[in-house]
Amino acid sequence: MVLVHLLPTAAGVFLSFLDLNTFTFQQLFGAPWVGLGNYDSILFDSANPLHSGFTNAVGNTAFYTAVVVAGTLAGGLGIALLLNRRFPGVRLARTLMLTPWVVPSFVVAVLWEFMWQRDAGIVNKVLVDYTGVVSERPTWLLGENTMWAIVIPSIWRGIPFAMLIFLAGLQAIPRELHEAAALDGAGAWRRFRHITLPLLRPLIAIQLLFGVIYSAYQFTIPYIMLGSNPGPYADLVMTLVMRQSFSNNLFGYGAAVSTLLMLAMFVWVAIWYRAFRRDFAEAA
Amino acid sequence: MIATERRRWVDWGLNALTYAVLAVMMAPVFWLVASSLQTNGQLVSGDLDLLEPTLQAFSEMWRNIDFERYLVNSLVICTGAALAATAFASTAGYALARFRFRGSRTYGLTVIGTQLIPGPLFLLPVFLGFVWLGQNTPVELLDTHLGMILVYTAFFTPLSIYFMRAFFQAIPRELEEAAMVDGCTRFGAFLRVVIPNAVPGLLATFVYAFLFAWDELLFATALTEQTAETIPIGIRNFIGNYNEEYDQLMAAGVVSTVPVLIAFFATQRWLVKGLTAGAVKG
Repeated sequence: MVLVHLLPTAAGVFLSFLDLNTFTFQQLFGAPWVGLGNYDSILFDSANPLHSGFTNAVGNTAFYTAVVVAGTLAGGLGIALLLNRRFPGVRLARTLMLTPWVVPSFVVAVLWEFMWQRDAGIVNKVLVDYTGVVSERPTWLLGENTMWAIVIPSIWRGIPFAMLIFLAGLQAIPRELHEAAALDGAGAWRRFRHITLPLLRPLIAIQLLFGVIYSAYQFTIPYIMLGSNPGPYADLVMTLVMRQSFSNNLFGYGAAVSTLLMLAMFVWVAIWYRAFRRDFAEAA
Repeated sequence: MIATERRRWVDWGLNALTYAVLAVMMAPVFWLVASSLQTNGQLVSGDLDLLEPTLQAFSEMWRNIDFERYLVNSLVICTGAALAATAFASTAGYALARFRFRGSRTYGLTVIGTQLIPGPLFLLPVFLGFVWLGQNTPVELLDTHLGMILVYTAFFTPLSIYFMRAFFQAIPRELEEAAMVDGCTRFGAFLRVVIPNAVPGLLATFVYAFLFAWDELLFATALTEQTAETIPIGIRNFIGNYNEEYDQLMAAGVVSTVPVLIAFFATQRWLVKGLTAGAVKG
């Protein structure tokens, strides 16, 4: 199984050193060797449009990832705290809350594309017509707002999973800890800060690790909602790679950008490991 | 007295907040279903009549998108891949849960490591490889069900292994030891004692792999053209051709969600156990 993954990946890295495009496509793996040429034009050739496209997509992806992961974890933790109480209908509420996560991403993208419509979309109807919070109808699917048009549905779909994990963690915290602290006079906030958060730390760490990886590799939502070219404000690294590879046949370029993306994730894992090593000392 | 009074108000407020948050989270799902039961004219003008639903969008969508073809493709590919992934995962997950072999920890780490590989880096050589096979051998994998099943199996097996391992760890070792004392071989004990006890886990792993395969778009865009296109591709094509027909798009969304929703809620108990067990233990 390791072979099944490593072999194609190694072949992918190999491809990134080739000048594989429309003209050399027939040669497949025998395309001309250009060494680091692809990397050079992506990273340093400022006259090359591929270079600016790349830097732009990297910036967008970093922003998208940071906001989505932060929003998902904060929202998931908040809802988990709300659902970790006794109230009428708690079981039903916990089950229903999972629904957004079960809705497939491509459906999420179509659904929100419809909701974001400037005139017929429900979002603008609520914001402008029903409540009047905003006076001008915002355009969501064109221009600067496109980033939010993909960020918000991603958070919406991610929250239930984070909630599920946090809820399991919260339920594993012994009640006595909170009761003892309350007896000693600790208020709700101090108990959260000094008992709940430290005990949830490993769960936060795990979700940070995978949340960043999955967000950085997001493709479905921007592709379905905005098409193969989501525009300068919402073009992520993944949509860029797929567009350059399969629409423009720049396979070598696509492989080089993917390799850089993978290296970036290695760096992220290294940073993560340094930050959270202690939390997993006994588990590993 | 005053303290308990205040507590009651706080509780009441938190309950209200909980219901409000739940309503907001559920609203898009409600909107998906509600819109699919209206005509496109109503959606554009905003004259919704939720009390008079119509199934018109569903029948139109079925015709215009040619939904049946995509649905069948998705069902065949995802079922095949999920079955294969579960089969691999059950043996590998068992080995990881029970034996301490040389490199078992490295193996576990590698499983995580596979998640670090960006889809395209895996996809590009697979795509070229499929093209090469099509040109030089009689093996046709590009745009076929078999090709997609192979790729999805490879891609969704690693996480399924982790999933399965948590379930096997929960089965007491003594069960197999007793079976082996009674004359079963190791593999016999695995087949006759462990597997029947792991049925919920197997089912959950199957559903889990199925959910992910159902939602997969990256590989499908590159590796399918006509015969093996799955639902997400069908929907993307439809957006390209009939941009404004939102009633039909919502209807297609509902039909694509129902199978996974049923599968999820039918196995939810075990699925949630597998997901949280893995996470809480680290």
